[in-house]
Amino acid sequence: MEIKIKNLTKVFPGNPKKNIPDTTAVSHLDLDIPDGQLLGLLGPSGCGKSTTLYMIAGLKQPTEGEIWFGDEDVTNLTPEKRGIGLVFQNYALYPHMTIYDNVKFPLTNLRVKTTKKAVKILDNQKIDELITNNADEIIEIVKSSVYKEKISKDAAARKLVFRFHIVTSLAVKIFRLGLHLVPADELSAKIAGIKAELAADNQKITEKFAKHGYSLNEACECLTAEGTTIIETRRLSTSEIDGLVQETARLVQIDQYLTRKPSELSGGQQQRVAIARALVKKPRVLLLDEPLSNLDARLRLQTREEIRRIQRETGITTIFVTHDQEEAMSISDQIVVMKNGVEMQRDHPQDVYNNPQNLFVAKFLGTPPINTFSGEIKNGALYIGEEKILSSKSFTEDKPVFVGIRPEGFLADEHTKDEDKVFSITVKAIVTMGRDMSLVCEHDKFIGEDIKIIVDSDIDAKIGVMRFAIRPNKIFVFDAKTEERIRFEAK
Amino acid sequence: MESKNNWKAWLYLAPVIVLMAVFTLYPIVNTVVVSFLKDYNQINGSSKGFTFYNYQQILSPGGLFYEDVWLTALPNTLILTLITVPTSIILALFIAIGLNSIPFLKKIFQTVFFMPYVTNAIAIGMVFSVIFDTQTGIFNAIFGTYGFPWIFPVPGGATVAYGSALFSICFYIVWHSLPYKILIFLGGLQNVDQQYYDAAKIDAASRAKTIMKITVPLLSPQILYVMITSFIGAFKEYNSVIGLFGTNGGAFDKNTGPSSMKTMVFFIYDQIAKGKVQYASAAAVILFVIIMLFTAIQFKVSKKRVHY
Repeated sequence: MEIKIKNLTKVFPGNPKKNIPDTTAVSHLDLDIPDGQLLGLLGPSGCGKSTTLYMIAGLKQPTEGEIWFGDEDVTNLTPEKRGIGLVFQNYALYPHMTIYDNVKFPLTNLRVKTTKKAVKILDNQKIDELITNNADEIIEIVKSSVYKEKISKDAAARKLVFRFHIVTSLAVKIFRLGLHLVPADELSAKIAGIKAELAADNQKITEKFAKHGYSLNEACECLTAEGTTIIETRRLSTSEIDGLVQETARLVQIDQYLTRKPSELSGGQQQRVAIARALVKKPRVLLLDEPLSNLDARLRLQTREEIRRIQRETGITTIFVTHDQEEAMSISDQIVVMKNGVEMQRDHPQDVYNNPQNLFVAKFLGTPPINTFSGEIKNGALYIGEEKILSSKSFTEDKPVFVGIRPEGFLADEHTKDEDKVFSITVKAIVTMGRDMSLVCEHDKFIGEDIKIIVDSDIDAKIGVMRFAIRPNKIFVFDAKTEERIRFEAK
Repeated sequence: MESKNNWKAWLYLAPVIVLMAVFTLYPIVNTVVVSFLKDYNQINGSSKGFTFYNYQQILSPGGLFYEDVWLTALPNTLILTLITVPTSIILALFIAIGLNSIPFLKKIFQTVFFMPYVTNAIAIGMVFSVIFDTQTGIFNAIFGTYGFPWIFPVPGGATVAYGSALFSICFYIVWHSLPYKILIFLGGLQNVDQQYYDAAKIDAASRAKTIMKITVPLLSPQILYVMITSFIGAFKEYNSVIGLFGTNGGAFDKNTGPSSMKTMVFFIYDQIAKGKVQYASAAAVILFVIIMLFTAIQFKVSKKRVHY
């Protein structure tokens, strides 16, 4: 489902009487998310990214603007009519329900439009298929499901569900056939008997439908005398719900925990349950509100891969809100960087880093952060203090600028031969980190606390003034007033 | 190390412990003791020895108080409890949910609903006896049942049916016990994370389903607390009877049920007033056992249904 957002604005009204001004959380935001993509909404806290998400979810009403899912305007629809799945920051799993009930909950409210089907015949066909091909395995599973020295129906059914990906009611039916009670030499006779019974049952059901004037086609859909299928709107049946819950549980790999309560699961598992609950009703759009912020670093890495995998497998259009740049970079197809409710830049993850459009984006992305200096453009060249860093014919107008240099953009030793293009900085401390070396430096034109430079560890670094050349593609120049990027061609 | 400063701890606890021992612990123990004494004299504390006579008089069909207890006080107490507790809890729950979700005039409504809590029970009882008055009562005026005796019989005329008296007192008890419950439920509701409701909304759960499947289970600790305290309170109902029916506990048509609205506690006070402390003690012990039983049952039932 393609999502289009046009001119979306959210203003939280203030109180003029008490001199509290209005707060504009989101301001004239336009977004266009192609079908099946994962969009990362990235920004510092308070930038309006969660508000945007809640407006898409329908939990908050926009002040202005439109939201479109495909060619349907959903701006004024209530959340339940939008067909979205939302994963909350704190998961919001119902603490009093088991995982199964949690995942099941959205389905119990759902009404579906489907063709009328002879479900029982489909069930019988599945049983037939299983006992024909997997009889030995079924018996083995049932016989291994022993609890307190007796064969347990529940345990056997659950194991059968795991193994054959069938719904619970079907597993119970198979258990009740009693294949495990039959001596080995009579097994084939027993199976043949069951198959005959099933066939007779199917015959009966078909006749029943015939009585009402319906015939059945190959997919067991009900056909009227004119040969058309019958569409009915109804709630999901218990076995359909069970099937969907099991399927989704398998997708997010929580099928072993279905009988537990949320408090008995780890953070990562709870997180996956929350995703399962959002996905189980097959929503048109999946919305994730900082879903990883409650996990520890290791789990965060793992879960983020997981989310990416699930998103790829289901192909569902997803919006992912985060303040963590690394998270957004690693899983998004596209990133939107926001600040104070305004879109700063929208691009592919790597381009946002390599090609920031303004000072905010440059500063927000990258660890360690970009080093910002105040400089100026003079006579077609860029100066920081008295030193000429580089010259370009693109610098036509003389003006004060901000210069951003990525930590990895500094080159030392033989690169500094061109006297015209060197930058001297005072190194305060050297931190070796194995492959790389981090230099903590200072410079009187620097804005902020410490300059951080990352260089190869084989460079001969020393405390005191050091000279560096700058890689042209790691240096960004921004207008001092508008903070917009000034693009230049390095000579 | 741990036992070194023990005496200090006891010293700090002493004021409470002494007061509790004198005014709570000793009376409880003494009540049990007195309930087993024959012809106990409360002035000089003398008695004719240990006996089951007191219990026999109250519990056995041929006893002195068979009618007062078995036919009046016990049925009254049980009926009042079983009607007013569930009714008031369910009503309080809905009012609390309503109060929690209305966007405006919240404070005014809360004040209105909390008024009965700070008003004296006897005073309210007297007001209610005016409301349910046969001739001038506002209840009869509103529902057009002029001349119907709800509480007091018409002199020389119609008698009061037990059912109508029961209705009046239940009406009063429920109204009077609502605020406290609403207060507790509102507190519980404000602790329920809004995200659960948002999640339910996104999952397309109806309003009724949200209440039944999410609000009530999440509020279950508060519901259990309110249930236990209000069962205990209802078993001890006394003030309301005095307030509504006066000190004789009402006089109803004998053919329609118990002849008065006297409860177990009413009976206990009656016996004390008559100087028969041993009977009062025995009745108190019996009431205590009944309350214990009910509380135990509630705890047992709640084990599966309450989610902390």
